[in-house]
Amino acid sequence: MHKIIITLLISFSIVNSNFVRAEDKKIDLNFHAEINGQVFKCGESYAGVGKSQSEITPTDFRMYISEVAFLNEQGKWIKANLVDDGIWQNQSVAMLDFENGLGPCRNGTSATNSVIKVIVPDQQYSGLKFVIGVPFPLNHADPTVAKAPLSSTALFWSWQSGYRFIKFDARVKSANVGLGGDEHHAKLHNAHQSHQNSNLSAVGYSMHLGSTECAASSSTAIPKQCKNPNRVAVEIKPFNVEKNSLVIDIGRVLKQTDISINTPQTSPGCMSFPGDADCVSIMDNLGIPYDGKSPSGIQKLIFAR
Amino acid sequence: MRVKYLGVLTLLLASNLFAANVYEWQLPNWIPKPIVPQDNPMSEEKVELGRHLFYDKRLSKDESIACSSCHIQKKAFTDGQAFSRGVNKKFGVRSAMSLTNVAYLPVFTWSNPQIATLEVQSLIPLFGEHPVEMGMSGQEEILFQRLKKDKVYQKLFKRAFPDEFKEGEGALYSLSTITKALASFERTLLSFNSPYDQYKYGGNVKAIAESAKRGERLFFGERMECYHCHGGFNFTDTVSHTRLPFPEKGFHNTGLYNLDGKGAYPFNNIGIAEFTGDSSDMGKFKTPTLRNIALTAPYMHDGSIKTIKDVLKKHYAQAGFASQSPKGISPLRHELITGFYLEDQDVSDLASFLNSLTDQSFIDNPKYSNPWIKLPSKK
Repeated sequence: MHKIIITLLISFSIVNSNFVRAEDKKIDLNFHAEINGQVFKCGESYAGVGKSQSEITPTDFRMYISEVAFLNEQGKWIKANLVDDGIWQNQSVAMLDFENGLGPCRNGTSATNSVIKVIVPDQQYSGLKFVIGVPFPLNHADPTVAKAPLSSTALFWSWQSGYRFIKFDARVKSANVGLGGDEHHAKLHNAHQSHQNSNLSAVGYSMHLGSTECAASSSTAIPKQCKNPNRVAVEIKPFNVEKNSLVIDIGRVLKQTDISINTPQTSPGCMSFPGDADCVSIMDNLGIPYDGKSPSGIQKLIFAR
Repeated sequence: MRVKYLGVLTLLLASNLFAANVYEWQLPNWIPKPIVPQDNPMSEEKVELGRHLFYDKRLSKDESIACSSCHIQKKAFTDGQAFSRGVNKKFGVRSAMSLTNVAYLPVFTWSNPQIATLEVQSLIPLFGEHPVEMGMSGQEEILFQRLKKDKVYQKLFKRAFPDEFKEGEGALYSLSTITKALASFERTLLSFNSPYDQYKYGGNVKAIAESAKRGERLFFGERMECYHCHGGFNFTDTVSHTRLPFPEKGFHNTGLYNLDGKGAYPFNNIGIAEFTGDSSDMGKFKTPTLRNIALTAPYMHDGSIKTIKDVLKKHYAQAGFASQSPKGISPLRHELITGFYLEDQDVSDLASFLNSLTDQSFIDNPKYSNPWIKLPSKK
């Protein structure tokens, strides 16, 4: 009997969190992934990417979105509740997944998600804001027991502890290949067995965004904050809830970076670590402070269409 | 007499009642019990499952690498390499650490101050991508499928996680159960039976040679200062156990590198500075245990020194290896790394002492060996 009551209570509370009250409305935010205006698709190649005008073949593109809010007519930001679907969204964070596990994206998943479902009070809205990233407490909670969409090991950032807020990976076709991090490392340690990348005509490029330098003030405490949270604030005004959708164009973020080379002694591509010349323009385009420098403007990755 | 007997019987019964909850560590009495995370109490069943997982190549993407590939029992659970290869044949950047007495560590890996449990640590080799080790990132469903169709695992998972078994397959074959079982097995990798232990705690004065006794005096003496960092029952200042109110963590720069005159280490091995963002933390790495050190060459976080004698002669005696590099002694090295005078006799005495920390019963213990290797049938 007790069990039944508890079960009922639990199911009621689950329903309740996703329940659309009469005074609420449901909004679907539709996202389109693009690379310099062309639709993102696994298996496609894209020319003219980055300062190097490289040809790339994407292998992964996923990200986390949280803290969604809408601007009402009184000029007040109203928090939206994410619909907990047990797969792409829980009550705090949603995952956008544009890779379909096919062809060059074979390490991914067949399912994709380009819609974020929210519930808000039934009002008129003229603006939208959200954050690319996982809220701090969840980002640093135990990943072995995390609920979807935070259970995806592909987005784990195990070494940094936390998640990759954006994971974009590609193969870059280019004859002009510099010394990558790993190759350089092999040279530094030439006493040890070294290795070479045999396929120099196509190298991997990664843009991984996540929090860095998350250690606490003393090395014996649990991190309470990260020096570089690296969460992207997205604010879109005006935004028409009925008519607009959102475009995520990674090409805009990579525009001023030479993706055909990797600065020696840094991670491949841009993995958010401080002191990486390959990250400077990328972080600026994401509106994120980097290496003590404030960004020149707001993020350029996402816009309304 | 009868009353006494009854009392003993009652005690035995009582201890049997508790036996289901109390794990027998089988430690010598001078060693405190390790701390175990509250959500993962020890059990023989979890240990047995963890041992099977530890030795199972199905935990890697192309089924070519198990935990045991880089943590080999006869090398005190290291692999004898400066860097280990991941499934993509690329090398990592640090040397595989010994798993000797990991139950007593409050922090894991060479240089990540955030990894506080073995459960979370296991995610790095399993799912890490920079570098790729076992390459399972994004492949967790495939991993669960591989395990759940194996009859051996069906039995082991059910026994180890009866509550999760009741919840269903999704809970039973999960990151939570896999990492808990792996951690439980690793916590059993206890080594406290070296000749030095027999000499020091077992009252066997002949367990170690005279040279080792001279080496012991040097080790614990103020000329070399070894014991300041490599002290305590596990020969490291990074330790936690049930009699210690707070965990102790030791991260130090030993002056191995000085690439720029300001103490810089190679870019991909800067120690905990990677996490603290504090330039004064450059080159600070965790103090490893010296137990079984003779089995764990090459030495240092990057395997850059091949022998114990070179670690003594070319590194610590010289105030850090960087003293022989173009930029000279590191300004960031720990204050006790000042160099010292060393006779050849001292080197061999110290090496003899360090060799006496090798625990043969640890590397021969059948409980730590590969459970998948079937014993030859007697038929």
